[in-house]
Amino acid sequence: MLCYYDIQIVRRNLGYVELTIFPTVVNLNRIKLNSKQCRIYRVRVNELEAPFIYNDPTLEVCHHESKQRNLNYFSSAYTAAVSAVDPDAGHGELVIKVPPELWKQGDDLKVLKVYIEFSLDQPKGGLHFVVPDVEGSMAERGAHVFSFGYQNSTRFWFPCVDSYSELCTWKLEFTVDASMVAVSCGDLVETIYTHDMRKKTYHYVLPIPTAAPNISLAVGPFEILVDPYMHEVTHFCLPQLLPLLKHSMSYLHEIFEFYEEILTCRYPYSCFKTVFVDEAYVQLSSYASMSIFSTNLLHSATIIDQTPLTRRCLAQALAQQFFGCFISRMSWADEWVLKGISGYIYGLYLKKTFGVNEYRHWIKEELDKIVEYELKMGGVLLHPTFTGGKEKDNPTPHLHFSIKHPHTLSWEYFKMFQCKAHLVMRLIENRISMEFMLQVFNKLLSLASTASSQKYQSHMWSQMLLSTHAFLKSISNVSGKDIGPLIKQWVDQSSVVKFFGSFAFNRKRNVLELEIRQDYTSSGTQKYVGPIKVTVQELDGSFNHTLQIEENSLKHDIPCHSKSRRNKKKKIPLMNGEEVDMDLSAMDADSPLLWIRIDPDMSILRKVEFEQADFMWQYQLRYERDVVAQEEAISALEKFPTPASRLALTDILEQEQCFYKVRMQACFCLAKIANSMVSTWQGPPAMKSLFTRMFCCKSCPNIVKTNNFISFQSYFLQKTMPVAMALLRDVHNLCPKDVLNFILDLIKYNDNRKNKFSDNYYRADLIEALTNSLTPAISISNEVRTVDNLNADVRLILEEITRFLNMEKLLPSFRNTITVRCLSAIRQLQRNGHIPSDASLFKSYAEYGHFVDVRVAALEALVDYTRVERSSAELQWLLNMVQNDPAHYVRHKILGMLSKNPPFTKTTDSALCNEALVDQLWKLMNSGTSHDWRLRCDAVNLYYTLFGLTRPSCLPLPELGLVLNLKEKKAVLNPTIKPELEVGPEPDPISLGVCGVGQPPQGLKRKAETPLGSPPEPGQVLQQQDDDARGGHFKIRFNTMEDEDIDMETVHDSQAFIHQHLHLLERPSTPGKEPPSVEQSLLSMPATPVPSFSKETSSLASKHAGEHGHHHHHHHHEHKKKKKKHKHKHKHKHKHESKDKEKDRERDNSHAYSNSPASGRSLRSPSMSD
Amino acid sequence: IGDPSLLRSLNGNTVLISGKAATSPAENYHLARRRTLQVVVSALLTECGFESAEKAAVETLTEMMQSYITEIGRCAKAYCEHTARSVPTLADTVVTLIEMGFNADTLPVYAKRSQRMVITAPPVTNAPVTPKALSAGQKRTHPAYIPSHFPEFPDPHTYIKTPTFREPVSDYQVVREKAASQKRDVERALTRFMAKTGETQSLFKDDITAFPLIAAQPSSIPYLSALLPSELELQTLEETDSSEQDDQTDSENAAGNLINDDPGGDKENSMLPPSGVPSAKASEENVIDNPYLRPVKKPKVRRKK
Repeated sequence: MLCYYDIQIVRRNLGYVELTIFPTVVNLNRIKLNSKQCRIYRVRVNELEAPFIYNDPTLEVCHHESKQRNLNYFSSAYTAAVSAVDPDAGHGELVIKVPPELWKQGDDLKVLKVYIEFSLDQPKGGLHFVVPDVEGSMAERGAHVFSFGYQNSTRFWFPCVDSYSELCTWKLEFTVDASMVAVSCGDLVETIYTHDMRKKTYHYVLPIPTAAPNISLAVGPFEILVDPYMHEVTHFCLPQLLPLLKHSMSYLHEIFEFYEEILTCRYPYSCFKTVFVDEAYVQLSSYASMSIFSTNLLHSATIIDQTPLTRRCLAQALAQQFFGCFISRMSWADEWVLKGISGYIYGLYLKKTFGVNEYRHWIKEELDKIVEYELKMGGVLLHPTFTGGKEKDNPTPHLHFSIKHPHTLSWEYFKMFQCKAHLVMRLIENRISMEFMLQVFNKLLSLASTASSQKYQSHMWSQMLLSTHAFLKSISNVSGKDIGPLIKQWVDQSSVVKFFGSFAFNRKRNVLELEIRQDYTSSGTQKYVGPIKVTVQELDGSFNHTLQIEENSLKHDIPCHSKSRRNKKKKIPLMNGEEVDMDLSAMDADSPLLWIRIDPDMSILRKVEFEQADFMWQYQLRYERDVVAQEEAISALEKFPTPASRLALTDILEQEQCFYKVRMQACFCLAKIANSMVSTWQGPPAMKSLFTRMFCCKSCPNIVKTNNFISFQSYFLQKTMPVAMALLRDVHNLCPKDVLNFILDLIKYNDNRKNKFSDNYYRADLIEALTNSLTPAISISNEVRTVDNLNADVRLILEEITRFLNMEKLLPSFRNTITVRCLSAIRQLQRNGHIPSDASLFKSYAEYGHFVDVRVAALEALVDYTRVERSSAELQWLLNMVQNDPAHYVRHKILGMLSKNPPFTKTTDSALCNEALVDQLWKLMNSGTSHDWRLRCDAVNLYYTLFGLTRPSCLPLPELGLVLNLKEKKAVLNPTIKPELEVGPEPDPISLGVCGVGQPPQGLKRKAETPLGSPPEPGQVLQQQDDDARGGHFKIRFNTMEDEDIDMETVHDSQAFIHQHLHLLERPSTPGKEPPSVEQSLLSMPATPVPSFSKETSSLASKHAGEHGHHHHHHHHEHKKKKKKHKHKHKHKHKHESKDKEKDRERDNSHAYSNSPASGRSLRSPSMSD
Repeated sequence: IGDPSLLRSLNGNTVLISGKAATSPAENYHLARRRTLQVVVSALLTECGFESAEKAAVETLTEMMQSYITEIGRCAKAYCEHTARSVPTLADTVVTLIEMGFNADTLPVYAKRSQRMVITAPPVTNAPVTPKALSAGQKRTHPAYIPSHFPEFPDPHTYIKTPTFREPVSDYQVVREKAASQKRDVERALTRFMAKTGETQSLFKDDITAFPLIAAQPSSIPYLSALLPSELELQTLEETDSSEQDDQTDSENAAGNLINDDPGGDKENSMLPPSGVPSAKASEENVIDNPYLRPVKKPKVRRKK
């Protein structure tokens, strides 16, 4: 059960949580919960005050005194830190000691009620406050707050078991200002005013067992819209946006109907809420019975381009309601099943709503994406297993981060992970049929909904958790098919398949000799063995062949049907039964083959590079009806710049039955071909006459018709053609004058007055066309760019851009698309040397307070500027924004763009690459981003891009006189001592020769700053099962400020308690763990030896630990100083003798993952090396 | 008169008048009268034994005298009109003087006093001629049933409309061309104006007036302007599609109702006791049982906090 709060938008919230715990094991004397940022005032267990320890090792991953700057070290320390508080493993930041009086009760497996009082001050993560800086009350300003996070991040806003696999029912109470609405999970039971009538309390009840990460909250002066089709669905948007909300949501009921129909299952919750918020963390996030969307998804009826995007988002969110929220995952390794299923049924929705073409196009797009990513970055593993936990067993050694936890994943990897998951689901569907697939889903849902209606019983609710195993079992039960090999290939193993195909036609035998080779040695590839489908279009028709790819056979003989004849004028049957006339003059007279396709159904995650003659690609483009085949043909034709290719592409462009995205792609291909054929090109520039015919007035062909976007296909084509045309180049590699004038005329004569739709995207594309037409300026060396020497064409372009950008200030377009494109056009002008390169314009647009799309565009220009100009000032400016910007999305985006377009990389030299930057980035990922998992991973990514895995090259070698390079096994005199002394931001006492003398006082200072950190006492590690108190009730209540009666004494007690425990840290718990500190600066490989205890000693050890702790509780204060000395001695003693021993031990015992440097002992993070 | 300062003032006036000679004859006429009046005042002052006077004093006295005479005239006219006449008689004037507290009997004696100065008549200036009205159309006379002393009809140009039009250009190309360039000119002029009057940013350092960009101003709620259609767009929408327009108003109405019927989510209602606002649509709303539309409850019997 959970109650909550007083949400002051002044960013101070008070509340309490009440958990009801059903112990499942005896010896429950510690309860571990997750909590971040919360200030905890008191904890009571069954009305008894309980002591607690709060330690968050992820706050600072590696500690200051460490001069280690290599990413390997960081990654393992970070993984260890996350593991140390991993709720799935029974860990947590908050450890509550059950008062001894209650141990008996726990042993009898009786209910324990844990009551935690806490407050949240200025939270940096978990809850996001949007408070516009205008006059008026909070409600008038549209101030609002909502919860957010990447994966399980609920611990940021209240203490809980922050795991997807810990289910419980909830009771939630939120007290907010009377002008606000609080939207949360479950059913709103009632809303009651407080006694002073200034506030009201929202009471929610969520009777369906739900995991804490699926709980969310949004509070704001929302406008409320009850869905006209489904009254249990309520939509919320910010003030003034109600008309947009009404329009954008008018379609939602159809998505509901679709899912309920295919799953033959009712929507599991009794209500559904959509909330649209500003500065959203992601476009959509799903929680139990509610979804939080970005307000930028809302649009009016005049907007074309945004409509499908918004509908897709809604459909995705709703799919996740079934799989992800209602059915949750058993463990992180099972995440792929849920992401896969929700992605898969979302795909089915796409197929139904947007058509098969769109669906197949989407599948191809997703497949290309994952293939490209895996070939570039290495494999994506859906179902990692961590058996031994040994470093060597790392399933993804190619990655610079660990995939053991969602919180250590790079964002891009996670996106690709989701992409691969739904593609694999589709492969399973191919294998067992859609009917069975849906039956499986239905079964899973009905089991879960039966379970959800049960009272708490330890095993029943587990039906609501889905594991890979249960999913596969269900598949085999329903379909009776064994999909083991498929799972092994794509789920248990990372990487994709890369095929190379070529063929020869043997006329004598009338046989097609097909050769399929594989590349399975380069990174991200795997070997495929099994069936593959090949489709051959012959004169007599289309034939499918299933070939068996085996270890050594490369060649496959496929008998042909047609006895090569052509004189008879006969229609040629296609795969879909259609019969068409073809002009066969282009083809090889001896061969009956029109075209060949390998794996046409995309039933392997693969990349195919197939060689066939240009005329075959042209036939494939013209006559194959599958959009995927057409798109493949188009990309292949780029290599064949001939008049025949030109004709085929032009025909496709004109053919209205053809899928519009294929036609759009054909535009760009045509532009490329035209450029390759520039010397032989006949007639007007490519596409010009076509565009004139399609979109210009009959009487005056230089004037475009007034806009009428009623036909979306032609709208998209009209938008795309100018963009592609602008890519044309003449023999001087300039954009032809004709084309530029043509585009300028399009802009001039653009008239939208009679149009039902907005033309903002069209105009934006025209600006993009102008941008595309730019070519590098002919520059006389070192000439300063001035207005006077501006090229005449560029002057025209610049005038248009200026006017557009200025008009946008007076009449802003939807999502400021015009400004976005203008900014990138200006950057392009700068980059090509037409106008002086200058960052100040972009900086002003990147400031907080502009629309997010504009900001991102400006930031992109700035990132580019930073790279081109190697400007450290701009880089600093960007990094500063990463640290301070209020919008999380923008911070994330900056780091993402910097990684994509880095100012320098590990392989290049740059003046920007210096020690200060290393330190800054290190600090950012080490401690500056502890409130946002995603941002921290972004920072890690950037660090990786810039410096690679090892110690950055720009860093001076460690400052010892003699440096042992263990890798190269030689000692060199450190040449950098002098520079380091000058440059070094803080002299490192350890490395400056005081090594081994003892811990510098820094350690203590740090403790005061971040008063968190508890020693992992021996018992703690082994105690995981003790905490395994599943389910039960969970209750949080946040009280109003004035109602709050904080027992200050208790607070002080708790603080004192924390402090005492912190001091405990200074004391080494096991002698062997104290490493000689010299090593830190010398050695690079981190690892931690940990005493491994057997299970039997568990209770004994924990008791011992308890006593131990108790002891210090009383005496630590007086003996603090003494102990410190003692400790140092200790260290000395062990330094030498333990060094070798430790190394040995590490080899044997290196699977010490659960208690690594960061798990609390990180102050003196031990680092070892082999 | 002979007083130097006064003379100066008179001269000054003359200069002034001559300076303004180019102005309308009506004004000239009034100025001449005023000058005479000033001479009269000066004469009276001399008669009373003043040797010099400040310009301001003379001016003030002139003003007073003019007001006094004007008041006599106004009042006399009122008396005459009261008795249904249109031209004042002597009696009207006498009554007026009496009414204004002036002893009318002393007037003949005063007029015949010996030391009075004789002032020459003001130079004959032409009484102002009413400017010729723009002649347009036929001036209409009164119809028979309107007495002739009623005011005449105003000049025809004030009510007659003269339609003028040119042959419309029907050539499509020219029309489009014109529309396009007109739009462009308006836009350019407008943006240049905005750029001139406000803060700007520039792409060139050497010439900041070339290609001026209106400076980017962060707004506190940026999503509103970016998402909501501009009024112009809405307007075009209404023009192009009337059914669309109906939708629009419908939605607005519905929105209004929703807010009114929802005592929970609305700030104005939170001030009121949540007794439920009955509305025209109440019956319809009752069908929708959504918890967010229910009224906020009052706190129950004092509970423990």
